[in-house]
Amino acid sequence: MATAVKKTDLTAEEIWTVQPGERRSVGVIHIVVLALLIGIGFVVGAFGSISFPLGFGVNFFWTGIAVQQVGAVWFGGWGVLAGAIFPFFSNAIAGTPFYVSLAYVPANAVQAFLPAWAFRRFKADPRLKSGRDYLILFIAMVVSSAFGALWSPLVVLRGFGLLTTESLPLFIWGWFGGNVVAGVVFNFILLKALSAVVIRTPAFVKRWWS
Amino acid sequence: MNKTLLGYVPKESPIYEVHPFVKLFFLLVVSLFPLFVAAPEWNFALLVFLLALMFVCRIDMRTLRIYVPVAISMGTIILLSYTILGGRHAEFQVIATLLGFPIYWERLRDALVVYFRILPMIATMVFFLSTSRERDVIVAMRSIKLPFVVTYVFAMALRSAGMVLEDFHIVRQAEQARGFDTTGKSLAYKIRKYVMYMIPLFALSLRRAEEFTNALVARGYSFTGKAAQVKRADYILTHYSYKIHDYIFIILIASAFILLVYLSLGLGYFDLEKSLFIQWLHQLVS
Repeated sequence: MATAVKKTDLTAEEIWTVQPGERRSVGVIHIVVLALLIGIGFVVGAFGSISFPLGFGVNFFWTGIAVQQVGAVWFGGWGVLAGAIFPFFSNAIAGTPFYVSLAYVPANAVQAFLPAWAFRRFKADPRLKSGRDYLILFIAMVVSSAFGALWSPLVVLRGFGLLTTESLPLFIWGWFGGNVVAGVVFNFILLKALSAVVIRTPAFVKRWWS
Repeated sequence: MNKTLLGYVPKESPIYEVHPFVKLFFLLVVSLFPLFVAAPEWNFALLVFLLALMFVCRIDMRTLRIYVPVAISMGTIILLSYTILGGRHAEFQVIATLLGFPIYWERLRDALVVYFRILPMIATMVFFLSTSRERDVIVAMRSIKLPFVVTYVFAMALRSAGMVLEDFHIVRQAEQARGFDTTGKSLAYKIRKYVMYMIPLFALSLRRAEEFTNALVARGYSFTGKAAQVKRADYILTHYSYKIHDYIFIILIASAFILLVYLSLGLGYFDLEKSLFIQWLHQLVS
């Protein structure tokens, strides 16, 4: 019995590796997961966008980051797609102009992609079993949010002529802090609480699409 | 009443005489208008036009109340970022000093320009969300021949947002029934405890994903392989056809945009130098 329990307890390496004889392919469930992630992100992201607005879709505390990053870790490319798409809706509801939201897409895509890539590349355990897993998630969160924070105020908002050069730091720090703090509050707990279940579902994505 | 993405609109609203694609086209094109207009009075006129359009379309104007704090906070942030955080510029005209910070005319002017650009862009988005049902968005997307899988995911996402919202209320009520109450607690506490909603929401969605998938597979849906290549009958689109007035609206919107670009870039018609409001304000504060 003890041996059986030990066998079912997957290692981080096994979580991300397709085992011999294991068949994985893109299925309807991944399309459904994509839609559901957009739906959750829509609601959760809009909460952050409406409750803590800094302006132009930048927030002091953006709850949507949890869906963006945790979703991408679990569901790979589907999570990245959802992470890039749902802010478009949640920002729209919160009053961000259409084309500003559209221009945020690359920032949101990178924010979702980096943690997903880091977990797959460094074979980190999504159940956060060791300090290394926590560190990989934290660094990925910080680096991806830094990219988003630089892209959006520097490229998008300056590009649209909505900000002065002097006010850029406020928006850069607002975006960065709003994402990292929310990520620290939610990402660790969500991964810790649900990863053990998610990795055993057919929806879990080991590679990028299946 | 029809439930739209942002509220309710009476079934008799004239907006439902218009093909959904026209609404999407209006959003995509009219959102660009303020980017070509610097003079605040023109952007304000566009805002008034959009509000009038909402009134004519019988949108419940009370739904706009949620955007009042957004407009105020955005206005405040823009004003602060352009004035207090706007830096020191010897070349600009000082019109006042606030807490030791010089307030420049040029910065105040630019803040107004940006603010009056943003407001009609927000109003355009609100108009679209207030008048469009989930089905309208899907019809608009299918009208432009987007692949089935894209429109299907989009439809499912919109539907699931409603379900997540419902789940959110259920989770909240369940936690309240167990004595969880954030009334009077600090913001930090509320934020920390928000995770108590997130975990059940995710868990419920995962369960729903499997239920959805089983339902779709049972009905023979497939997004890959041979089954996905079968041409599907589109029943929704059969209920919507373009009428003459739809073509007229599309031509009008496109023409207005072309005219605006010509007047703006070709003749500099909407430049700040020609703005009567800016001239009046400059005289007022100088």
